[in-house]
Amino acid sequence: MLEFLSRRLAATLVTLALATVVVFAVVEVLPGDPALVMLGTDARPDTLAALRAKYGFDQPLITRYLQWIGGLLTFNLGNSHAYGTSVAKLIGDRLVVTLPLGAMALSWATLVAIPLGVFAAWKHRRPGDWGVMGFTQIGISMPNFWFGIVLVLAFAVTWQWFPAGGFPGWQEPLKSVHALILPALSLSLGEIAILARVTRSAMLDTLREDYVRTARAKGAPERVVLFRHALRNALIPVTTVAGLIAGFLVAGAVIIESVFRLPGVGQLVYDSINNRDLVVIKNVVILFTILVLTVNLLVDLAYALLDPRPRVRA
Amino acid sequence: MNTFRARAARHVGFQIGAVLLLLFVGTALVSVLWTPHPIDTLNMRAKLMPSSTAYPLGTDHLGRDVLSRIMVGAQTSITVGLIAVAIGLTIGVALGAWAAARGGWVDEALSRTSDLIFAFPAVLIAILITSVLGASAQNAILAIAIFNIPVFARVTRGAALSMWSRDFIRAATAMGQGPVGITLRHVLPNIASVLIVQATIQFAVAILAEAGLSYLGLGAQPPVPSWGRMLRDAQTYIFQAPELAIWPGLAIALAVLGLNMLGDGLRDLLDPRLRLLRVG
Repeated sequence: MLEFLSRRLAATLVTLALATVVVFAVVEVLPGDPALVMLGTDARPDTLAALRAKYGFDQPLITRYLQWIGGLLTFNLGNSHAYGTSVAKLIGDRLVVTLPLGAMALSWATLVAIPLGVFAAWKHRRPGDWGVMGFTQIGISMPNFWFGIVLVLAFAVTWQWFPAGGFPGWQEPLKSVHALILPALSLSLGEIAILARVTRSAMLDTLREDYVRTARAKGAPERVVLFRHALRNALIPVTTVAGLIAGFLVAGAVIIESVFRLPGVGQLVYDSINNRDLVVIKNVVILFTILVLTVNLLVDLAYALLDPRPRVRA
Repeated sequence: MNTFRARAARHVGFQIGAVLLLLFVGTALVSVLWTPHPIDTLNMRAKLMPSSTAYPLGTDHLGRDVLSRIMVGAQTSITVGLIAVAIGLTIGVALGAWAAARGGWVDEALSRTSDLIFAFPAVLIAILITSVLGASAQNAILAIAIFNIPVFARVTRGAALSMWSRDFIRAATAMGQGPVGITLRHVLPNIASVLIVQATIQFAVAILAEAGLSYLGLGAQPPVPSWGRMLRDAQTYIFQAPELAIWPGLAIALAVLGLNMLGDGLRDLLDPRLRLLRVG
């Protein structure tokens, strides 16, 4: 177990190190002169020189890279060019919107998808199953930002039950939760579809197992067979996928926050693109990557604890 | 092939997918030659009009015909999707086939690199690339293509590896054929169905990605019509002209649904045992 753990941790760290190199290369090497990207081609030479000096773009690449890594390790991410404030504080302020949004979407997705998947497996190859599969097919095909717009049309424009966008701030907790409901619903659509499919196929696998047949033969009620015997084991792959989805939820937040004008990390990325604020973009991307890698690592560990088989393969 | 046709005739999902795809491609082709109205003639007196006989889907905030713009938008989606998938397919298949034929460090390096790319949230990297290189259809294609490479590389490697252990390939090796010849003559033709199915699914994913990028303003730039961009504009006028926010989204959803159903159908018809990667 310890060997598996340390191996997975080492692999994650190597991936993370490579990821920093890739992000650094894309942001600071690929465009040639980052100062020119940030200020535009019509910037005056002295303003360009001042910006280069301010962000250290005039230093050798390796120095710049190491300084960035040093900053990441000490949470000293430098200052945003557009906002003038510390990038770490900027991201921290926005996470209080994005994290609850992601958490709401993931809990909603799990609450809806698992019963749907169980139901589809129970009604295998019957109309109930086809209905769920048809729904998941639509869920996968519908862009989540369009689903968000449709929700706004229905529940904000037509019925005015929810705000069309915006965020009041956590000093008004009820209004804030209210403002996050439509965004969380739109963010969860694709995830519900994927999780329901995974639950269905995992359930179909476990329902074929001998112990399920034994439980049925013993006369256990169908509800007990489905939920106590089959679902418990089917949850192993479902947990894995739910964990993987958590990473994608955070990334999907970029578009959904833009649809609902929520001041989260996603909106920060969007604004930073328009402001050409490379310092912010670089750090947000790497923080998201760290988040995804950490979640993947935790999922692998949970998996190894629940199911001893992958330990041997790894 | 006859059995394929017979089974296709019974597979409803495949048929729905095929019809939707024909509609999608047909619309794009027709729009090359003809649209009900010119797509970029501004008419401020006829802006935000509801649907009528002259404008079946109404007009947008600049008085342009929405139906015509959705028709031409299909061209944008297909162009971006096709090129992105073609680049991903060409490079990915070459890398995957190489890794399967060669093994050893090539295989190891390829697997690690694709793990690395999968570690990034795809949307973010696409945003990163387009924000550094500038927002344009070409850069959107590039960003989407990069994520298609590891998908195809993994699928090809997996399928090709199982081919290399087959007897007829061992026989070809024993007869002195080289790895390149065997890959081209025996491995690739035998895994083509896997690649066709994956390409269909990736085409759907690419259309969704293009819509997302152009919704954020990072895809095709105006005046080129793109469905994502139309949704962004429609959202600004959601209280004045709510139906504007319906049509482009419906177009995206139907196109993607068609490709997904076709892909799933093809998988059932070509080989029911196939397992696919689905990376959003």
